[in-house]
Amino acid sequence: MKAVCWMGTSDVQTLTVDDPKILNPHDAILKVTRTAICGSDLHLYDGFIPTMEAGDILGHEFMGIVEEVGRDVSNLQKGDRVVVPFTIACGNCIFCKKKIWSACDNTNPNAHLMEAAYGYSGSGLFGYSHMMGGYAGGQAQYVRVPFANVGPLKIESDLVDEKVLFLSDIFPTGYMAAENAQIEEGDTVAVWGCGPVGIFTIASAFMLGATRVIAIDRLPERLEMARRFGAITVDYSQDDVNVLTAVKDLTGGMGPDSCIDAVGLEAHSTEFQGIYDKVKTAVMLETDRPCVLRQAMQAVRKGGTLSIPGVYGGLLDKVPFGAAFGKGITMKMGQTKMHNYMKPLLERIEKGQIDPSSIISHRITLDEAPEMYKVWRDKGDRVTKIVIDPWAARTA
Amino acid sequence: MDRAFTEKPHAAEVPRSGAVGTIVNGHYAPPPADKDGKQWIRTSALVLRSPEELYDLWRDIEKAPLWQEQIAQVRATGPTTSHWVMMTGDDPDKSVEWESEILNDEPGKRIAWRSIGGDSDNAGEVIFETSPGDRGTIVTVLQEFRMGKLASAWETLTGRNPKQAIIENLRHFKALAETGEIPRTQGQPHGPRGTIGRGKKSLYGETIATPSGTRRIAS
Repeated sequence: MKAVCWMGTSDVQTLTVDDPKILNPHDAILKVTRTAICGSDLHLYDGFIPTMEAGDILGHEFMGIVEEVGRDVSNLQKGDRVVVPFTIACGNCIFCKKKIWSACDNTNPNAHLMEAAYGYSGSGLFGYSHMMGGYAGGQAQYVRVPFANVGPLKIESDLVDEKVLFLSDIFPTGYMAAENAQIEEGDTVAVWGCGPVGIFTIASAFMLGATRVIAIDRLPERLEMARRFGAITVDYSQDDVNVLTAVKDLTGGMGPDSCIDAVGLEAHSTEFQGIYDKVKTAVMLETDRPCVLRQAMQAVRKGGTLSIPGVYGGLLDKVPFGAAFGKGITMKMGQTKMHNYMKPLLERIEKGQIDPSSIISHRITLDEAPEMYKVWRDKGDRVTKIVIDPWAARTA
Repeated sequence: MDRAFTEKPHAAEVPRSGAVGTIVNGHYAPPPADKDGKQWIRTSALVLRSPEELYDLWRDIEKAPLWQEQIAQVRATGPTTSHWVMMTGDDPDKSVEWESEILNDEPGKRIAWRSIGGDSDNAGEVIFETSPGDRGTIVTVLQEFRMGKLASAWETLTGRNPKQAIIENLRHFKALAETGEIPRTQGQPHGPRGTIGRGKKSLYGETIATPSGTRRIAS
């Protein structure tokens, strides 16, 4: 089969590899019908996530048709159309029982690597480094899905793939970000980053009762998209814009009730701290560039909530913890507890409350994926979301 | 009186209290330190199964190859004795074999054992205890083995650090008990690894076969 392989920093190739096989009793093999490139795939592309190895198959947003199931999978059969959550959960450990699915104890074969770095290991993820399990991803024609008895969500309506594909990660991730922001009726919420997760966060914040959402980015096509979803936009790259002043101006000086960092570890900044983080990460004195996190900690109101769906990987520098303590803020974060959100959000899509496919800007083939990683990284061609049809022939 | 886990399990008098070893008289007791060529590892896991079920799974020693790394075969040779075959590589001539004896067997609670001849000098104990708050069973393993520092370093470089192997085996045991399988990626497709990727195989534990977790073929 064809698959998109990580071959090194800034080096992604579409290669022919073996087809996946059933390896465990709860496995299923899917024929992938649609898959997407996630913003967090760029952290891999840019070499920010350790324990990626040449040959690793990328992709954690995918859906498809069940081709084969292992002997202990009774809920699915050949021909079922399913969306697969990017976190793999066993359903039986104490964390799954507590519905903290992304903390599952039993799905990371390389748990020792994550224990060394984080103290404890989270669940396995598809296509996201050996530390996160080393599972082959879904930017491929076929994929093996472990614990298929727990994760995959069957799509029984006639909704097209593109409308439900983002239940695999970014819609639930945006929704959990809004839920973690502890929004109350009438609240003002500020969201940093208007990429796909930011957009779903904005939409979800309104669903959960926010009256005003302030959206911060620098790319015109993203700011446009955010306005389309109802947000008031702030372009932080404009010379005369200071984000902290902007959020005060838009909240009567009080500050947003909740701030949401939908950017993560590769944030950009026009301020001096942007250069500071670039230099420190370049010489490996810092692993992440937390300029959005710093700003959000400063911006949130007294007693407010900071929610962090953006991915962080390691050690952060100059984080204004005094501001967090001084204002008594609450911080909530972490990998999405996918399995809690997929079904309720599918219902919202079925009811027509949201059309997730409206964020798609590019539809491509597997062969075009390597060049589109570069476009996605450089934010060229007004790109907002890239979806791959693994079976489409090269168009150009 | 409770005896701490710091007592060597195959000492003449085996502790009978079922003390978990991490708490002695209300105080935390750290694991024993490596000394005189003896290495110790203590590890524990919270497993959502009853102590009885977990005891039964562990006590069925002929099934140990299903969840213990590199164990090729275990044959019961008597009510408390067994013969163990461990493969340290692909070469069948390079097997390590030893006899083992169960010293203490408390159904649903505790098993203690030691080697009684052969290529390996080891002793161990496993305890199954209902967790505080009745969330499940805390399984605590204490294993002791004799191995020189050089041999240990060599094992770490070429395959699995022997202490890590005990930790991984308990992880496999928990996964098997809770889910009926052991998570694996060996056998999945990938692109060309290159020299560096191949060199890192032991870091990712890929030089050690993940135990099958099941006797039946998966599909």
